[in-house]
Amino acid sequence: MSITRRAFIKSLALNSAVAAASTLFPGIIFAGWEKTDLPSGMIDWKKTPCRFCGTGCGLLIGVSGDRAVAVKGDPNCSVNKGLCCVKGYHSVQILYGKDRIQKALIRKNGKLVEAPLKEALDLVASKMQETIEKQGKDAVSIYGSGQWSIPDGYAASKLFKGCIGTNNVEANARVCMASAVTGFFTSFGLDEPMGCYEDIDHADVFITWGNNMAEMHPVLFSRMLANRKSKGHVEIIDFATRTTRSSQASDKSILFKPQTDLAVANAICYEIIRNNWVNKDFVSKHVSFHKGKTNIGYGTQDHFKFKDKAETVDFETYKKFLEDYTPEKVEKISGVSAMDIRYLAALYGDPDKKVTSFWCMGMNQHTRGTWINNLVYNIHLLVGKISTPGNSPFSLTGQPSACGTVREVGTLTHKLPHGVVMKEAHRKMAAKIWNVPEKNIDPKPTYHTVEMFRALDRGDIRFMWIQVTNPMVTMPNLRRYRDGAKKDGRFVVVSEIYPTPTSDIADVVLPSALWIEREGFFGNSERRTQHNDQIIPMPGDTMCNTWQLIEVARRLGFEKQFPWSRETYIEDIWNEYTRFHDNPKHRMAPYKELKARAGVQWPFVDGMETKWRYNPKYDPAAKGKDFDFYGKPDNRAWIWMRPYEPAAESPDSDYPFWLNTGRVLEHWHTGSMTRRVPILHKAMPASYVEINPKDADSMGITNGSKVKIISRRGSVEMTASINGRGNPPKGMVFVPFFDENHLINEVTLDAFCPISKQVDYKKCAVKLERA
Amino acid sequence: MPVFSYIAYPEPGTKEQLLKDLTALKHCEVMPSENTDVLVLVTDTPDEAQEKVLQEKFKKLKSLQSLGMTYGHTDE
Amino acid sequence: MRGKTGESIMEKPKHEPMHEPGKKPGKIFLIFAGLCVMALPFIVFAAISYESPSIVAAETHTPLIESQSLDFDHKGNTIFETHDQTSKEYIEGISTDRTLEAFYMLRQYPGSPPYIPHKELEADGVEMECLTCHAKGGWSAELKGNTPVTPHPEQLSCRQCHVKMTVDSLFVDTDWMSIMPPKLGRSHLPGAPPPIAHDLQARGNCIACHVGPGTVSAIRVDHPTRGNCRQCHVPDLHPGLFQQESTF
Repeated sequence: MSITRRAFIKSLALNSAVAAASTLFPGIIFAGWEKTDLPSGMIDWKKTPCRFCGTGCGLLIGVSGDRAVAVKGDPNCSVNKGLCCVKGYHSVQILYGKDRIQKALIRKNGKLVEAPLKEALDLVASKMQETIEKQGKDAVSIYGSGQWSIPDGYAASKLFKGCIGTNNVEANARVCMASAVTGFFTSFGLDEPMGCYEDIDHADVFITWGNNMAEMHPVLFSRMLANRKSKGHVEIIDFATRTTRSSQASDKSILFKPQTDLAVANAICYEIIRNNWVNKDFVSKHVSFHKGKTNIGYGTQDHFKFKDKAETVDFETYKKFLEDYTPEKVEKISGVSAMDIRYLAALYGDPDKKVTSFWCMGMNQHTRGTWINNLVYNIHLLVGKISTPGNSPFSLTGQPSACGTVREVGTLTHKLPHGVVMKEAHRKMAAKIWNVPEKNIDPKPTYHTVEMFRALDRGDIRFMWIQVTNPMVTMPNLRRYRDGAKKDGRFVVVSEIYPTPTSDIADVVLPSALWIEREGFFGNSERRTQHNDQIIPMPGDTMCNTWQLIEVARRLGFEKQFPWSRETYIEDIWNEYTRFHDNPKHRMAPYKELKARAGVQWPFVDGMETKWRYNPKYDPAAKGKDFDFYGKPDNRAWIWMRPYEPAAESPDSDYPFWLNTGRVLEHWHTGSMTRRVPILHKAMPASYVEINPKDADSMGITNGSKVKIISRRGSVEMTASINGRGNPPKGMVFVPFFDENHLINEVTLDAFCPISKQVDYKKCAVKLERA
Repeated sequence: MPVFSYIAYPEPGTKEQLLKDLTALKHCEVMPSENTDVLVLVTDTPDEAQEKVLQEKFKKLKSLQSLGMTYGHTDE
Repeated sequence: MRGKTGESIMEKPKHEPMHEPGKKPGKIFLIFAGLCVMALPFIVFAAISYESPSIVAAETHTPLIESQSLDFDHKGNTIFETHDQTSKEYIEGISTDRTLEAFYMLRQYPGSPPYIPHKELEADGVEMECLTCHAKGGWSAELKGNTPVTPHPEQLSCRQCHVKMTVDSLFVDTDWMSIMPPKLGRSHLPGAPPPIAHDLQARGNCIACHVGPGTVSAIRVDHPTRGNCRQCHVPDLHPGLFQQESTF
């Protein structure tokens, strides 16, 4: 008997015994088994995108009765072809934590008490009305998420921007992908990658820039490993600030001092030009050169404002600028040997090698995040390695729908579903589709995420609705923003699924439906939109986020704009939303296609997905013979002269360590879902601080001992991990942020990239003390 | 590879002992009930001969009152 | 060439080098030396004439970052190295001569070092070199079986832990009992990847015991070509479940 058949027969045997026992002894309980509704032998499989990372694996959920009981990878989904990671395989268990919020809660006399959902919704609407009347429309706000389903974000944008008329709409993707977005807009004029995951099957060289792909996008990393195993000559280079599982799997691991990726990227360009590896034909036809402001600050003060100014320059100016970035000079500040810099440059410069660069939070959560995104595009543009299979500067997305919802629907202060609030033509289009007067839509953006929480602290914002995110664990410099949210006169509404530190400070908690309990759409890193039906019923009083917004909108008097019926509202919203993108550069697939298929890429033109954009061979919106970067008015891709500027807070004699934060394979973000999955909690029960073995030795710290991490903003006590999951170099420590009992963000700094306003969670200065 | 499952009834007051005894036997998996004095037993022996040996072992257990078979499978 | 940091590009690349890059190292050095001499005045001039004082030049000297060992996380690097070095034929080997029964018969408790079940001396009295067979496995014509692969080849003093059973009898009867070995198929959901059933100390290299003809057939995986085992299979360490403790 093979193992799987044997296991199946044994489970039949077990089921029979338990079923018989239940008949003989009604009410009998076996540890780990449900009292009622024992899963029968029949399982129905329904498709959905995974609830977790930006890879966007297709899953098949095994349903028995009205419970999700198993998971398979969807073999029909081109993203993962049937493979998942440990989170995906156990994702259905996130639905069944015992402390699931199933009833609305209202804070009365300082305590959250259960209340009928209707009462809670009435209260939310009346509080919004009251705040708008007393303090103006810009005193209300909504903070959403890259894990919002697409209709959630659309309803939020329409309600707040179209009906109420405030641009106080932000999402946690601001602190996740904003630098990638501004990188795309400044380099290409349009958001989202020009390549797709198929690049992985074609590339000869992979270079990861500051991301731990083996743990963070494991299924894509597996595709890279499979490519390497089958082709033999493929190289994977791990370019990072610390040693991780990705380093173990790569052919070469190159460490750099935090922030100096800016200098190394420029040095690579210097080498490419010096060695005459520039693709002169491509550059002369498809690239133009520009520079912006320098010395642009870090945003740590309230009301920090920055607006860049673009100036056109030429190749010679750019070449001269790069003379500051010879490998020898850059070696001095980055800790990367000139030899290794030249090695990387040679990989990019070799005309016979297809190169794919991957990056995620290392480059985006960066006080010069926009710049470093520009600089990696510069490398690919100089050698013309872009928009063809295997040649791909690929910005990986962290969350499952930061692309689909936040970026494509535009749930940020300055954006609309098509375009920006500042442009009249875009406001006109939105007003028409939304059926609101044009003057409703405010042409001035208000606050980005950090400023929004600062405004809540100052009292300029009095009402905030938080959906699908946990800012009371994730805001940097957390103490200020938590204290701010708890001040008198602030009303916080939280739509949640489990009790978290954010729901703990709420005035109203609305019970939300989770993932496959409601119909929805996610959009992943490679422009693939994926649909799921409602697969299991919503428990208790839970209500999906979209419908919560619709209920409140109707109470505020906007029935006309939110007319849809309970049965078809998701489809209706999709049909209305896709009108914004109806052009060959962004057309979305129709509802029927998305319902039937395991994901469809946009632009979806004449029944075909556009896999590589800006290349007329694959992209019907591109004109001409070889490339057409139609996002920019000059139809060219822009190379930006961006210098190296140091981090906001570097280690010094008082605080001699870099603090770096991030994730681990087992846990998603703040762990509110994954910690309730037994296998994931058992594999990774608590957070810790990774310390370099030599550093630990010199401080007398051993594996498992307690350590205090102290910065200018706060301190946290944690357990030391030495030679554990990852290894930071000397002078750096790393802490994963999934543990709400160890709030590392009380220690981090709220500095951000002045262009994208994205926070840098990877760099601040701390000191360690034995506790 | 014979696979069987049973409801195992312990002698009065010996549920814990029966749990220990059955867990110690090879080829046996036991799942005790939390609120009743019965256990579920699943056996999986490599061949008929070892199945017979296991049955003999059951007969020798003092804590086992009776076994009610709920599932049987043999590979023919 | 796996995962070595600070590696010189002067070393021979794994694949056949293209002419251009292959010849480049020597050329680069000469060009570089020449450039140094010629570029020096330019660099100085550029540094002075650039808009603001170059931050690159002003930064204090950063020492080269030392390459780090990849031997962390229970020797997780060995999984990737072995996966890369193992041939397709070996990975797909499916002999059934080793059974779980026999496997546990050689051990006193799950995880104990097994004793040596075959003779360890050559005909002429010379001790066999264990790693000649147990480092890579393969078919043993002498013993007519597939050889198990050690998960810890870096431990070179084999006979410090593995000994031969020379007699069958006990000195005195013993009361020894141990825990049951981990059960198979402990997936949390039907079809889900089971958690790692054993400690990872000295047993971090999955391929050694779960892939190939020399493995115990009951624990051989049916997806041996996937390389990143711990993307799906995680250790089962902590006994309890998550308890949310509100601190507000």
